[in-house]
Amino acid sequence: MSFIPGQPVTAVVQRIEIRKLQHGEHLILGFSIGGGIDQDPGQNPFSEDKSDKGIYVTRVTPGGPAEVAGLMMGDKVMQVNGWDMTMVTHDQARKRLTKKDEDIVRLLVTRKSLEQAVRHSMM
Amino acid sequence: MASVNNSKNLRDSDIQKKIDHEIRMRDGACKLLAACSQRDQALEAAKSLLTCNTRIMAYMSELQRMKEAQVMQRVARRSDGTRSSDAGPMDDRLPCKGKVAISDLRIPLMWKDTEYFKNKGELHRCAVFCLLQVGGEIHDTDMVMVDRTLTDICFDNTIVFSEASPGFELRVELYSCCSEEDYSAGSAPRKLASKLSSSLGRSAGKKLRVAMDPGACSPTSNGGAVTLLLPGHAVAGPKYHLLAHTSLSLSHVQDSFRTHDLSISGNEDCSYWVPLYGSVCCRLAAQPHCMTQQMMSGCLKVKQLGGDPQSWTNVYGVLKGTNLFCYHRQEDMEANVEPAFTIAINKETRIRASEKDPHSKAQSICISNQYGGEEVTHTLSADSHEETHRWMEAFWQQFYDMSQWKQCCDDLMKIELPSPRKPALVTSKQGSLYHEIVIDTSDDISTVTDILTRRMQELELRSQLGTSPPWMSLFEESPGGPRTPRLARHSPRSPHRLPHSPLSPLRCPWPGLLSSDASLTSDSDSPCSTSPCSRHRGWAEPLSSPRFRPRTLSLDAKLSTLRGRGYGGVLQCSCQPPSSSSLGPIPAQCVPQATLSCSSSTSSNSSSEGSHSPSSLDGTPFSRPSSARRSLRNVRAKLDPRNWLQSQV
Repeated sequence: MSFIPGQPVTAVVQRIEIRKLQHGEHLILGFSIGGGIDQDPGQNPFSEDKSDKGIYVTRVTPGGPAEVAGLMMGDKVMQVNGWDMTMVTHDQARKRLTKKDEDIVRLLVTRKSLEQAVRHSMM
Repeated sequence: MASVNNSKNLRDSDIQKKIDHEIRMRDGACKLLAACSQRDQALEAAKSLLTCNTRIMAYMSELQRMKEAQVMQRVARRSDGTRSSDAGPMDDRLPCKGKVAISDLRIPLMWKDTEYFKNKGELHRCAVFCLLQVGGEIHDTDMVMVDRTLTDICFDNTIVFSEASPGFELRVELYSCCSEEDYSAGSAPRKLASKLSSSLGRSAGKKLRVAMDPGACSPTSNGGAVTLLLPGHAVAGPKYHLLAHTSLSLSHVQDSFRTHDLSISGNEDCSYWVPLYGSVCCRLAAQPHCMTQQMMSGCLKVKQLGGDPQSWTNVYGVLKGTNLFCYHRQEDMEANVEPAFTIAINKETRIRASEKDPHSKAQSICISNQYGGEEVTHTLSADSHEETHRWMEAFWQQFYDMSQWKQCCDDLMKIELPSPRKPALVTSKQGSLYHEIVIDTSDDISTVTDILTRRMQELELRSQLGTSPPWMSLFEESPGGPRTPRLARHSPRSPHRLPHSPLSPLRCPWPGLLSSDASLTSDSDSPCSTSPCSRHRGWAEPLSSPRFRPRTLSLDAKLSTLRGRGYGGVLQCSCQPPSSSSLGPIPAQCVPQATLSCSSSTSSNSSSEGSHSPSSLDGTPFSRPSSARRSLRNVRAKLDPRNWLQSQV
């Protein structure tokens, strides 16, 4: 998950489809995000590279739609419904995930274990 | 022969009905266009007009095709003397149809930087929408207004075509219309229209009449009439032009988002020009019927090879998608009970008929699959020859469908129709705070917060809060004075002060409170301060003992005071502000979308639990700070670069 500024980022991703849950007036996904290009990346406890300003999953509500779909804490969100999440501000990321008229969000996430699995299978 | 004609006539009248319907819609749209005065109404009407016209064209061409086919058949019959069947040679297998859905259309734009930083005043806007066509089915998306503040054109609609064949061609056309010219019917277009209509000569007029007469269509006149039916009766009003188009087919279908190229027509000089990047991003999914419907069902006897030769199991088999589900009884299937077992029917499966079993006369069917490295064979036996034959037929059809629909049969792609959208909340004209905040370097934080304060007031007014939260009564008390602020004053470190700190200036009984200070800090010993633009809105409520003390307006100082108070957790609300007038106990496990939002100026690693019922808020009446207050807190938190924000979604 390390990246060189200016170079395209490649990562092994997993597709996760989360169906929003109606909770009163709101649709919730059941996880929290941290990060963004306007945030201090050094405070991200989940990133490997402390200059990575991407969006990370900081918490997954137990039993919530995100956990059911397979999202894990520490995942880095690369794409949401076709929108890029590697170069967005924190608020932009939040907005992309909480669109009112979308019932389902399709994420592309990456995590260390995925890369390791691929590396092992290639050896 | 008679049945052939009947079905043809049925289809004819079907299309004829559709054409009539569209013509009525079109007349309605024309009338609306002529009558409406508002720009967006006119744009919508023009869009409906274009859609109706396109549909009419499509139906007409289909009609023409059918007539031509009819004529060809008659000719063939006459020459051959033999009957030719309606659907062509029977032996040709036809693949099953399926649902094709396109959603999340997004077209990126490429504004020149000169455009982007132009003077705010002139905003060149275009109205755009997409027309999507598969065969005779045409759908349009909603209209979107595009100006240079947009980076992408997004269409939220999901469009589903229900009967598409695997060789479908989905044509996507982007139409746009400049939204600024004055097309409210002036005399000029009308004169033009009348000139055109009067210049249609007798022969053209005859053709038109013939075409409009439903019974008398013949292929030749049809072709000519099609062009005349289109607005030659020039309709005054906005006119959409084709800006870009592309064609998608089965090879573009995938369960995820893909980017496709657009062919752009038009150039910079056109009034309807919008600078497109040249691609369109969307999700194109397909659900062939063989994956979603039961293709075959019936009673079967199943035996697994290698097992006891007499161990036939009676099952009710259902062929659907890539599986043959075997239920103990038919009722189980209807009751949605899990099948007894499932045999995979996919690209790797091998099926053949065998005569091996000497005990039963009927042929049996052998299905072989590779599970892991092992080959597992099931033998099926039906009750009669005809049944066996029907099952074989079903299997062959399934294989054929899978070969035609290719990647769509690997796994079932999801197609969901969006839930009916709630009416959009009332939002201010300018969508973002950035439009409102013009911060000069000479201004200090008070200007920002003044703007925010004003906005908060607008939000509050608009949201038309009915009852005020109960804690407000504390501030509306008699000059005895609100208790709580005094309490807080005595214990400056008490977290109880958290909720009421950023007082909504609308509500605050203290005059002149519309200053940055009161709204930002939770210092209660100085709720007011003189600020450069303090507004006196005539707060007549009696004030107990206001403490007016000028404060330093440094953001840093404020933030550090806030942090010092030790606020817990970092929680933000998502999207829209909830109705702050709904009050009630905080359910322990609720995801605090609507409720709690503490100041986020503390360190990020503090607990950010979803079901956060912070002890600081227990037992206080300030359980529901208003949305405006929350947004203020959020803005402040974001302004502090030392935070690492977390948001709950």
